Amino acid sequence: MNGGGSWRRLSGYLFVAPYLVLFAAFVLLPVLFGLGLSLFRWEMLSPLAPEYIGLDNYREAVGDEYFWMAVRATGLFVVMAVPMTIVMAMTISLGLAALNKRRALYRAAYFLPVMINISVAGILWRWFYNSEFGLFNAYLAKVAARFGTTAAKVPWLSDPRVAMPSVVLMTLWWHVGGPTVILLAGIKQIPESYYEAAALDGASASQRFTHITLPLLKPVLLFVIVMNLIGSFQVFGQTFIMTRGGPELSTRVLVQYIYESAFNFYRMGYSAAMSWLLFVAIAAVAALHFFLLRER
Amino acid sequence: MPARRRWLIEAAIAVGAAAFVLPVALIFLTAFKSETEILHFDSLLPSQLTGENFSEILASPEEIPIGRWFLNSLFISSCVTLLVLTVSSLAAYGLARLRLPGRRYVFAMIIATMMIPGQILLVPVYLILNWLGWLDSAAALIVPAGGGAFAVFLLHQFFRNIPRELEEAAALDGCSRLGIYWHVVLPLSRPALATLGIFTFIGSWNAFIGPLVFLDSVDRYTLPVGIALFQTSYWAEYGLTLAASVICTLPVIVVFLLFQKHIIKGISLSGLKQ
Repeated sequence: MNGGGSWRRLSGYLFVAPYLVLFAAFVLLPVLFGLGLSLFRWEMLSPLAPEYIGLDNYREAVGDEYFWMAVRATGLFVVMAVPMTIVMAMTISLGLAALNKRRALYRAAYFLPVMINISVAGILWRWFYNSEFGLFNAYLAKVAARFGTTAAKVPWLSDPRVAMPSVVLMTLWWHVGGPTVILLAGIKQIPESYYEAAALDGASASQRFTHITLPLLKPVLLFVIVMNLIGSFQVFGQTFIMTRGGPELSTRVLVQYIYESAFNFYRMGYSAAMSWLLFVAIAAVAALHFFLLRER
Repeated sequence: MPARRRWLIEAAIAVGAAAFVLPVALIFLTAFKSETEILHFDSLLPSQLTGENFSEILASPEEIPIGRWFLNSLFISSCVTLLVLTVSSLAAYGLARLRLPGRRYVFAMIIATMMIPGQILLVPVYLILNWLGWLDSAAALIVPAGGGAFAVFLLHQFFRNIPRELEEAAALDGCSRLGIYWHVVLPLSRPALATLGIFTFIGSWNAFIGPLVFLDSVDRYTLPVGIALFQTSYWAEYGLTLAASVICTLPVIVVFLLFQKHIIKGISLSGLKQ
């Protein structure tokens, strides 16, 4: 090959160059920069110069009571939201798959809330949940009145034990549509003839589900679970808009603590260290996913 | 399946679907209620339609510059969409169709970053934008969006399946590589580009944490951040916040109804093509 040929091959990178510049500046560099940052004490508003402190930020996180409260709130959200989302999405998508008509219409209805942005969705549900003049308690009062009693006002967002389940309920409404649509597409990929053959052999509906649908859906299902886990670890908007992390910090999740450490207290190094801890947790989940996929 | 059972399933699905749509409908219905009617809830429907919430939020552009926020959101989302479509399609074409040395490794590196949660990048990107002097400007939200890996991944998958013969024929006709990209690859990829464009636009329109962190002046806010801030100062005035929500939500719902097939297909494919 002559010099002109290899120039031609390399010059093809001109097509990729504009993207690579942006990728390097706003993805690759920040990842490395963030890792470096987590080893420094860097308080933006303080006169102290940034100082290398090794793993001290990570040590601080391990001993920080508020960090563990945020971990607990995040864990509580993940443990409730992920299984419920998956079971609900699975149920709805199986129901949709069984329909012959109007499937696209119903599918769009379940997906519609995904399109609503978090400010609007959060404000709407804060009104639903308001214990004095919210929609839910107004309806509970109406139902109670019909039975000749009065209903106690449910403290949807004002009781530390109730607040997180309320956030989860709102999240189910907001985001179940995504996994539902993906699972439905996965179910529709399974050839109809498998079910017909099983029906001829006298397999019941539940047998067909456990022996055909579930095994063939496994890769899609795992994908949906992992994506949902990754997303749930990063929960932020719902709690930020509806509760600001309250009451009594019961819904202050990790991302909110990371956000506040950086942008309210300007502790950039500490905030970066906590983001890396979150990343490690997420990476562990993703690794588990690949492990489970290989099991197949 | 027996017909009766099918009807039962459809009834259950329909009830569920109504429960999912109802809160969205309530944004619209409640925005046309008077404040007193919202506070003394009696029925889902307004007893009397009133536009007072809308006239009130539109009446004080100095305090609540909602028109400005709308234009900011529109401008930012349009620029992000244009930028992402341009740089990602060029890159995906280069990586999928040209025999670039080492392209496999470059592509693998890009894909690997798709796993990285956005929150990891928040603080470092903030500091980089600060250093560039872009904080509190539209550029802070537009330019970094061009570096996202998802768009390159999606278009790469699509471009890979375009038959080589079409490109070879165009090359024989004296078409340059840029010409092939423009006259052959892009026209053939219209469905993928449309799906990606709609996704990018809606994602940018609804983005929350980026604008929250990178913007400072009320004048430069996007709609979601403006509404969230507005909500903190008008804590209990649900009529006003819901009227603002209608202005923020209506464009997205229109886009969704028009391009529903593209959007749902795009979501479905993300789970199937691994």
